[in-house]
Amino acid sequence: MKKEYNVIGKSIPKHDAHIRVTGKAIYGHDIILPNMLYGAILRTLHPSAIIESIDLSEAKKLPGVVCIITADDVDVNNIGYKRDHPILKKGDANCIRDEIAAVAAETKEIAIQALQLIKVKYTVRTGVYDAFDALKESAPQINKFIGGKFENKNIAEKFHYEHGNLEQEKKNSAHIVSRRFTLPRMTHACMATSNITAHFNSVEKKLTLYSSTQVPFLYQRDMAHALKINPSDIRVIQPVIGGGFGSKLDIHPFEPICALLSMKTDRPVQILYSREEEFIASPIRQPMVIDLTAGVDKNGNFTFREINIIKDNGAYTSWGATTPFVIMQAFSSLYQLKACKFDATAVYTNNVFAGSFRGYGNPQATFALERVIDLLAEKLDMDKAEIRLLNANKKGEITGQGLYFDTCGHKDCLETVISKSNYHTKRLTKQTGRFKNGIGLASMLHVGGGAKIYRSDGCGTILKIDPYGYCTIITGSNEIGQGSETVLAMIASEELGIELDKIKIINTDTDVKPWDVGVHASRTSFVAGNSLLGAITILKEKLNKKAAELLHTSSLAFDYSDTKIISLETHEAVALDKVVREMHFSSPNELAIANYFYEPSSQFQDKNFKGNVSGTYAFASQAIEVEVDTYTGNIRVLDIHVAQDVGKVLNPLLLGGQIEGGIMQGVGYALTEELLMQEGKILNPNFHNYKMLTAADTPNIHFYPIETIDKEGPYGAKGVGEAPLIPTAAAIANAVSNALGLEILDLPITPEKILQALSLQKQTTTLKTNPISK
Amino acid sequence: MEFNIVNPKTKSELLRAIRKETTFRFGAGCTDLLMELKKKPVENLVVINLSFVVDSRFTGLKKLAKSFWLGAMTTAHTMVMNEQIKNDFNVLYESAHNLASTQIRQVATMGGNLCTASPSGDIACALMALDASCHLLNDAGVNSVVNIHDFFLGVRKTILKKNEVLYGLTIPTNKKQTKTVYSKFIKIGTRRSMECSVVSLAYHIQVNEEGVIIGAGIAIGASAPTVRSALSASGFLIGKNIHLITEKEKEELACKIVSYAEPITDLRATAWYRKEVLLNISKSIFE
Ligand SMILES: Cc1cc2nc3c(=O)[nH]c(=O)nc-3n(C[C@H](O)[C@H](O)[C@H](O)COP(=O)(O)OP(=O)(O)OC[C@H]3O[C@@H](n4cnc5c(N)ncnc54)[C@H](O)[C@@H]3O)c2cc1C
Repeated sequence: MKKEYNVIGKSIPKHDAHIRVTGKAIYGHDIILPNMLYGAILRTLHPSAIIESIDLSEAKKLPGVVCIITADDVDVNNIGYKRDHPILKKGDANCIRDEIAAVAAETKEIAIQALQLIKVKYTVRTGVYDAFDALKESAPQINKFIGGKFENKNIAEKFHYEHGNLEQEKKNSAHIVSRRFTLPRMTHACMATSNITAHFNSVEKKLTLYSSTQVPFLYQRDMAHALKINPSDIRVIQPVIGGGFGSKLDIHPFEPICALLSMKTDRPVQILYSREEEFIASPIRQPMVIDLTAGVDKNGNFTFREINIIKDNGAYTSWGATTPFVIMQAFSSLYQLKACKFDATAVYTNNVFAGSFRGYGNPQATFALERVIDLLAEKLDMDKAEIRLLNANKKGEITGQGLYFDTCGHKDCLETVISKSNYHTKRLTKQTGRFKNGIGLASMLHVGGGAKIYRSDGCGTILKIDPYGYCTIITGSNEIGQGSETVLAMIASEELGIELDKIKIINTDTDVKPWDVGVHASRTSFVAGNSLLGAITILKEKLNKKAAELLHTSSLAFDYSDTKIISLETHEAVALDKVVREMHFSSPNELAIANYFYEPSSQFQDKNFKGNVSGTYAFASQAIEVEVDTYTGNIRVLDIHVAQDVGKVLNPLLLGGQIEGGIMQGVGYALTEELLMQEGKILNPNFHNYKMLTAADTPNIHFYPIETIDKEGPYGAKGVGEAPLIPTAAAIANAVSNALGLEILDLPITPEKILQALSLQKQTTTLKTNPISK
Repeated sequence: MEFNIVNPKTKSELLRAIRKETTFRFGAGCTDLLMELKKKPVENLVVINLSFVVDSRFTGLKKLAKSFWLGAMTTAHTMVMNEQIKNDFNVLYESAHNLASTQIRQVATMGGNLCTASPSGDIACALMALDASCHLLNDAGVNSVVNIHDFFLGVRKTILKKNEVLYGLTIPTNKKQTKTVYSKFIKIGTRRSMECSVVSLAYHIQVNEEGVIIGAGIAIGASAPTVRSALSASGFLIGKNIHLITEKEKEELACKIVSYAEPITDLRATAWYRKEVLLNISKSIFE
């Protein structure tokens, strides 16, 4: 591949930026179909109750109400990763989101009014709102659909992993640190609330869903299973999506409910969440308690880690229960490690259930791990940068879990942020007075080339060039705001010499586009990019042949630039559109079209979770400086230095967007964002009290891309989307600990927790022994 | 949420509307009103929209002989842009400047901030430290004046009668002998914008040539059912020389301020936190 690029590496604005900022983008909320009804969902009043009876009589009388359904009216399968989640609930209410009935009406207002007329009789039960309580013998069985698979009736899923000789490494350890960390519920808070428009055509018996799923093909399959119809009778069309962040990986009950309402009424039906409903009924980042014990030898080499995680699964099992796939990678393989033993248990409770969320468990794991690394360094009296550099991952390393780092920028990332942040000077600055500054370090490891968790981690592309020289990329992957359309257009422009505005992307329709596993695991530019490059190679072979014929040369070496195909031998050129016309309209009349299915080189892990699960791996380090106001407990993040092994920068502008957005999500996770629950109810379902940070809170973000040019990635690029958020909370916690001499075991680090810890610190004279916890 | 709107264009149309309607609410910027009605809809409600009334007294700012006039419809944005407010009443400038976001500041009014009578009203808290006087107008066109210290009765309760509207207020001009003004609004919350005060402290302290404190207003917000004036703390400062205030006096001042606090525990903070922070920031006044 050539070294100098014309388009790749340039700051090209997002291809859909203009329609988004001018309000012309068509979101799910903007869709109006002829004769469309509006759906609304009645949810339980109590997070744990017996549903004794449901009386629809008054609601049905309301003019404008067309259809009301309850569990009794539908013949469906359960949904969810474990198929333990009924679409409409009958008998038991187990979670405050539980859908009891759904209405379709002529207007949204009538639908909502009808909900108020439905009378449900409940017998309220004492719920179980703590995962440890749910594990007790005396606890009731919460989810009746699975059970018996594990030793405890409330265990939804378990993971066990180990490598190395744990006992030996314990003996080899000069110091061992054990801590318990508690992680909060965080919600995606997508700017566009959840939405779906379902249109069942009773004549053709086909269902069209206008849906903002991130995984249209898995969605099609799961929806078909739920509704007991053929997957191919479902067409999924994705309108512009206003934020995903992992929240749209699972299918959620409102989606099949909307389809059912359309099937019952034979009219299109739309369901749009209100903001409050979005907070209550969309997924969250898994809350969990992590017990981590880790050792270090006298020279500072990491010896072992032993991890036990209890995850609050909520009442049903989503993809969220599988986050230990990623969590165990961080624990087994971030920094070189000799031995690891990992257990994670997802436990049913009557709380809201988690889903997948950018980072997929990795922010939680990295927080615990990087805090403990600081503590190990303190025990050894070793510099916190040095211990990290000593243990950093290396190029060529095969980790205990079998991850293979063909390229590895970990050490470069660490060295970059340590020097750019002036880490050593800042750490030692003695603090007096009201404001105390601190600086902290953290790194992360994440999949950078997809993740083989489904039978295929591949992506298909159909590429065509029309007789006017315009190019259409029909890709299996989809755009959820991350900018993959732009990157794909840039790749086509680079390789085919076609201007960007002559490149069209078709990626929103499962009836048209080829298969792809979905947008997750930071995989799209990597997998879809490689897939497109594969299609380009095939198409070029066809174009080259025709070009050679037209240019009367026998050499098939051509350069594509400026909408021309130029012979490298004769230096003669022919216009690309002319070549296409000649292909189409002269014998043997061939289309300028190619298709390609790319499957990454990664492996499926074995039953012990060992194997090289991703095409490549991304690394990042952050050094974060904070200022703590000891009068108020407020933490101000001043500067974030972030170095990330991105393989190759494809588009600096879009990459910067991912970095800044991710970091702000990480700062929110560290400091302010928490969905508060009491007895199964959400206390802050609004932006007033769910504190997402604003532009005014944005610190100075200094980004240093590290290019390792991975041979697996398109132009050497790796996945970048999740990484920026992963080490942020850990580095902030380390910085706050550095500023105040406090231990931090919980997130978010609220002003109140800081002030409480400081007042305890004042009372006891010993520093460093006051944990901040609830 | 459904309501009808009437749009009076003059003062007399406004008074007529008040006389005519029975179930009505005033709407200025509506940034509080809409939230309230969304939560608790009122049937057959009429919103008397104040924002079309053309009357410079109602909408404008003006320097008077001994005071500064602020029409009830003055927006937070207008306060932020006004040079005199920034120079003479910094506490008011800061309270408006830190309110919500750019977008909300364009429409949120001083009158709305007072009349909504939120315990955490930022502009209300600043105006209390400035010892403002509220000018009311009733449906018969009769004016009356009430000191801001007597304006608030409780959470979301003011002395305004159903047929009265807040027309504007006057802030006493800084004293002639005043050489330096220590005027500040300290807003505590987790975010730097779009934040409702978890605790706030407003102070406006006037000092003469020699450093003697000749005027002092101190008020606290989000610490009691209403914004409150810490009168004994203000009194304590009068006559003291700002350069000679001892550590002990700073402590005493802080304790006096905190003695007005009766905070509650809610989602945003515990009562303990609110008191602790109020004590700490009160000590910081002369730092
Ligand atoms: C996102 C958001 C953030 C906010 N942040 C802050 C903040 O940081 N600090 C803060 O203090 N507040 C904040 N608020 C609250 C609100 O914006 C302010 O209280 C604002 O000043 C209210 O003014 P308004 O003109 O919108 O009042 P409106 O909503 O129009 O009115 C409020 C109440 O006062 C009555 N009223 C209005 N004008 C008069 C009048 N002249 N005479 C008699 N009654 C009248 C109305 O009937 C109503 O009951 C925030 C609100 C939102 C939505």
